[in-house]
Amino acid sequence: MSSLALDRVETPSQDTRRWVLENGQSDEAVNRIVSAPLLQRHKWTWRTWWIAFAVSGAMTVMMIVSASWLLIRGVGVWGNNTTVVWGFGIANYVWWIGIGNAGTLISSMLLLMRQHWRASINRFAEAMTLFAASIAGLFPILHLGRPLYFYWLTPYPNTMLLWPQWRSALIWDFWAILSYLLFSIVFWYVGLIPDLATLRDRARSALPRKIYGAFALGWRGSARHWHFYEVYHKAMAALAVPLVVSLHSVVGLDFAASLMPGWAETIFPPYFVVGAMYSGFAMVVVLAALVRWGFRMQPIITVNHFDVMAKVMLMASIVMGLSYATEWFDAWYGGDHAERSMLTFMFSGSYSPIYFIMLFCNVLAPQAFWLAAARRSVAAVFVIAVIINVGMWLERLLIILNTLSHTHLPSMRHLFFPTIWDWTLLFGSLGFFAFMFLIFVRLVPSVSMHEVRHILHEGERP
Amino acid sequence: MSSMTSRRDAAPLSAFDIDRRAALKLLASGMALSLASCGKPPEEIVPYVDQPERVVPGIPLKFATTLDMAGYGRGVIVTSVEGRPIKVEGNPRHSASLGATDVFAEASVLSLYDPDRSKAPRGPKGIASWDAFGDALRTQMEKEKKRQGAGLRLVSGRMTSPTLLRQINALLKAFPQARWYRYEPISDDNEREGAVMAFGRPLTTLPRIGEASVALSLDDDFLGAGPRQIANGRAFISARRAENDPDRFLRLYAAEPALSLTGANADHWLAIRPELIRNLAIAISAILRGEKPNAPLPPAAQRFATVAAADLKSKTGKAIVTAGRTQPPDVHALCHTINGMLHAPIDYIEPVDPAGKHGEALHAFADDLSNNRVETLLILDRNPVYDAPHELGFNGLFPKLPFSAHLGLYDDETAAICHWHLPLSHTLESWSDLRAHDGTASIVQPLIRPLYDTRTAHQVIALISGALSPSSYDLVRETWQPQAGGDFESWWRQVLHDGVIAETRHVAVSAQPKAVDIKPAPNPTEAVLVLAPDPSIWDGRDANNAWLQECPKPLSKETWGNTLSISPRDAQQLGCQTGDVVALTRKNAKVEAVVRVDANQADSVYATTLGHGRRKAGAIGNGIGFDVYPLRAIDEPWLIGGVTIAKTGKSRDIPTTQGQFRLEGETTEFLPRVSLAALAAGLKGPPFAEEPKPTLYPPVHNDDPYAWAMVIDTAACIGCNACVIACQAENNVPVVGPDQILRSRVMHWLRVDTYTDANGGIQGFQPVPCMHCEHAPCEPVCPVAASVHDREGLNVQVYNRCIGTRFCQSNCPYKVRRFNWFGYADDEEYANLGEPPIKAQHNPDVTVRARGVMEKCTYCVQRISRARREAEKENRTIKDGEVVTACQAACPTRAISFGNLKDTGAHVNALRQHKQHYELLGHLGTRPRTTYLARLTNPNPDFDEAKS
Repeated sequence: MSSLALDRVETPSQDTRRWVLENGQSDEAVNRIVSAPLLQRHKWTWRTWWIAFAVSGAMTVMMIVSASWLLIRGVGVWGNNTTVVWGFGIANYVWWIGIGNAGTLISSMLLLMRQHWRASINRFAEAMTLFAASIAGLFPILHLGRPLYFYWLTPYPNTMLLWPQWRSALIWDFWAILSYLLFSIVFWYVGLIPDLATLRDRARSALPRKIYGAFALGWRGSARHWHFYEVYHKAMAALAVPLVVSLHSVVGLDFAASLMPGWAETIFPPYFVVGAMYSGFAMVVVLAALVRWGFRMQPIITVNHFDVMAKVMLMASIVMGLSYATEWFDAWYGGDHAERSMLTFMFSGSYSPIYFIMLFCNVLAPQAFWLAAARRSVAAVFVIAVIINVGMWLERLLIILNTLSHTHLPSMRHLFFPTIWDWTLLFGSLGFFAFMFLIFVRLVPSVSMHEVRHILHEGERP
Repeated sequence: MSSMTSRRDAAPLSAFDIDRRAALKLLASGMALSLASCGKPPEEIVPYVDQPERVVPGIPLKFATTLDMAGYGRGVIVTSVEGRPIKVEGNPRHSASLGATDVFAEASVLSLYDPDRSKAPRGPKGIASWDAFGDALRTQMEKEKKRQGAGLRLVSGRMTSPTLLRQINALLKAFPQARWYRYEPISDDNEREGAVMAFGRPLTTLPRIGEASVALSLDDDFLGAGPRQIANGRAFISARRAENDPDRFLRLYAAEPALSLTGANADHWLAIRPELIRNLAIAISAILRGEKPNAPLPPAAQRFATVAAADLKSKTGKAIVTAGRTQPPDVHALCHTINGMLHAPIDYIEPVDPAGKHGEALHAFADDLSNNRVETLLILDRNPVYDAPHELGFNGLFPKLPFSAHLGLYDDETAAICHWHLPLSHTLESWSDLRAHDGTASIVQPLIRPLYDTRTAHQVIALISGALSPSSYDLVRETWQPQAGGDFESWWRQVLHDGVIAETRHVAVSAQPKAVDIKPAPNPTEAVLVLAPDPSIWDGRDANNAWLQECPKPLSKETWGNTLSISPRDAQQLGCQTGDVVALTRKNAKVEAVVRVDANQADSVYATTLGHGRRKAGAIGNGIGFDVYPLRAIDEPWLIGGVTIAKTGKSRDIPTTQGQFRLEGETTEFLPRVSLAALAAGLKGPPFAEEPKPTLYPPVHNDDPYAWAMVIDTAACIGCNACVIACQAENNVPVVGPDQILRSRVMHWLRVDTYTDANGGIQGFQPVPCMHCEHAPCEPVCPVAASVHDREGLNVQVYNRCIGTRFCQSNCPYKVRRFNWFGYADDEEYANLGEPPIKAQHNPDVTVRARGVMEKCTYCVQRISRARREAEKENRTIKDGEVVTACQAACPTRAISFGNLKDTGAHVNALRQHKQHYELLGHLGTRPRTTYLARLTNPNPDFDEAKS
């Protein structure tokens, strides 16, 4: 009962209803808007979807080719060198896992904080999380010198009695990704069950009814079902928050638990979490704009949503800016020669143009959100979100390149130059993400119907 | 035309007239031969150290032999595993080795297994047999006999082998009209003629650098690559030990047009145009005589002359002035005069290489060729078509010859236009003898039966003289039989065991230099091209050796090719920068060269090295770098005037291993220099006085009897790279090739870091192997525990556990780990390095690493392990000095010490208490086991500013 008590909000229903436009403000309207593309395919034009599907499919093939060549020839096909032993592989991993953070943050943290607007976006944000985290999980394996032995990171029984080395941040990482991935799948799927039941009930032909019905696991929408669902969902949400924070903290520890100037900083775990939330949010905004446009969900995903998400990004950009400033200050104030020369290198070294672009993308560009006009223009929010994603990828890359290139001993300082295989794997992974997302929106309701219905009735007494 | 017919008659089996049965027979015999070909030579050879009852598989044997360096012998001890020579080390009894090696000696073992080596004779019609050559030669020699050899010409390099000299002299006696020409592209003609001017005869100068207190090098790179590098390096550093009386500590002045290793090790260095070095010498000689110097010199050079001359004079009896091969004979003669005035510690000996001037020999040879005086030409392991000045036009003259044969390791540029190419046995496959630069003779004994159908020069000369199946072994023994006295067999055994023939060093003769008349040079206006031997491949004969090609040049850290270094001012005037391609033109010759802007260079001087741009060196050496031999003049081989330079608009990446980033003042921290004066005053201040930082970690302690540690004396490091190649040979370190070097993926486990001052002046060298940190940052980050510590304090890498996350290298502050980005030794080898013969060089005690695996310096754990096995057999602990790492063994100056910290009497313990002792990046708390002694300088206080 306690979880239900949590839900009992005192705010007037009018406040939650503002997240849905007039023409969507009924249970039936919500169900119709969301399920139409899935159940009334013949009435729906899929031309754009097919074009996008073909393009992303081609990019997925590119990724497969790139990864295959990597496995055939060896990790030397990338641009990494003896000094910059990590490159795009790890940057891509950190970036993708950061994006993977946001879905769970939205569905759990915002849920616990009673941000009702999350109802319209959490479903595809969770899907995004799932896909991004899966892609992220690929990179550390592909980046290995001997990827066929990646399972040595697990404590499996073997005749040599060898175990992983628990002091290594990579082991923590391995477990963090694995548990997060498993968690995300369960969380996402259970949240889908009521909607799958809705689709089952609305399906006009036998096959979809059977398929959706099978996955709906016999959901009937009884009060008892809803009760269990609510208890379970809240409990999972409460678990998700520490998990998601720990996940990216551990990613931060990959760097922080080292001896290298620019990495060995205590600020890294929180700074990585904020960065992850930031880039993930930006990706959610991009996807929200696309889903809204593609499936005519303007009544459910409103300008108000973009306004509030822009505010979150603005906040995050300020926190990022502060984190950067803290890094600079610490490097200077610490007085260590290596840290200071690292700082000089960041601002005046070979990568400094990229660093300035990164600062513009992550700190300067989002300041436009101080203006309500920018926040309430879907186009502007979309463009800035894309810029933030680019900036965050550059940040991940520079964290690696700056520190590794500018190592302690000057004789070993070398620059990193990516190869065609670095780029194809990066863009291929973006294509693969789009590919999976397009399949998702075609098969599964991309907005959580039951949660939107819920906010329509928020505060009402039965 | 009769010779043509006879050659056709003598033609061997052609590939086309073999039937199936013959082919199968050949196949079977080939297989049988290849099985039998690895092994000890049939004659008895004597192991150096171990004399086991029988060869035990897995137990390496060591044999003393001699390797050739530009014709001079260098005694070495070669490790052989089950009949395969795999590693070369120095022979302490030999005066040109002193127990150490250089890059060429270390790399010779790779040349032995070079897949590009010639495997069978090649006649005018393709692959032939030695019998076919013998037949052709016999017909030819019949004709020569009739005319007393009037058409017979022999061409060879520098010749010091007593046996070969005996054979050739006998041949010339039999054919009095025949001629023998000797030349080396890197000749000592100027020194020789200078000695003739000063002493009336061509005495060789052997400065006793170890006894000197002041030395002045006039563009003499005596610490650079060459037959004397090891001996000079040892002597130089022995005169610069801190333990010495400060008064006896050698101070080195160097005046050079372009920086050399000698200049980099000098306390005071002057960049000066090569023509003005003459004036510098004149000025110094004037000051020494108490006269006022009046040769025109720039102000900096005048001051240098004044200070250096005063210093030389104050150390009379312990001061030496030397001149380099670029300097004309009269400068050499003047140096002899100055040394005479200074009573310099110098030995003068009768020349070991008795021939006349090499340049004249080449000239006479070309003259013979163009006047059609040559009928029968035999070239013994020389490549004039590539390395003679192109003005002589050998390329066009050779094809006109009626009979020409080339004996060599490779079917090279010269072989290609000779009728016959005869495969030469590698030194490690041959019986012979050689003399060192000081005359010390030693026997060359084979480590392995010839891999292919090759013969030695002895056998070929004997063939010319008419012997049917000559044996080099018998020929060499014949030479020494009269000199051995009584019991020849036991004398022979002793000589083979020692690797040196006692009392063969040429005795010093007394010589009084005459005063020479020498005119100062006017101030030159025209730019000049200065040539030098290449520090990695000398004159180009080793161009197909991948270890040498990939060995970073000591100063520029370039690999795989040469560059044209020019001063920043010239670069600005030309409007070019490092990597731009310029065209050098002289007369009809044009060479495209890649520019490297070098601050350590006199203006209007272009400098580069010989030996690159080979066209037929083999899969490794072809087309690497650019060839400057075409620009060379016959009478002026080193300083080439009349060269015009022009931009081409092209540019090229230079594969270097260091120097992508400018230094940010780290030099004083990472390679601290301390002056002798400061050391005497009891130096203070970081990093020497740095107290250990407090730590929460418990001290590393266990009851194991060993704690291995290494101390590297940077003051003793002359930057010669011997350790780098020694490590490569010992530890099966793969070659990656120029493209991978451009991607910064060098694999050398041991690198030599150079540090520069703000102006780019070299501050010294720092060999960097793995530090084997007690708190190794690489260990806790490895997720699969592939990087672990053993009880003896070694940080070890478990190759078969490594999955290649590379976290260890990203967290290594020293960046000493090396990753197999490709299968560099695992089926993705560079060029032909994956071919079977190369694998025979591998050290069986060291794993060949697979793709995707991290590797690094192991402190030669296989050597520790061997010593431990020996000690345990005798129930004792390993004694100090029993384990010698490969880098330590190679070092000519003994800069590297290795030992057990738990052994209180160990040398490393004493060195770790030394005043100069410091840890690299010690403040990180890594507690490195490899530590350093600071670089020591001895600047003259009379200079306002030392070479800072």
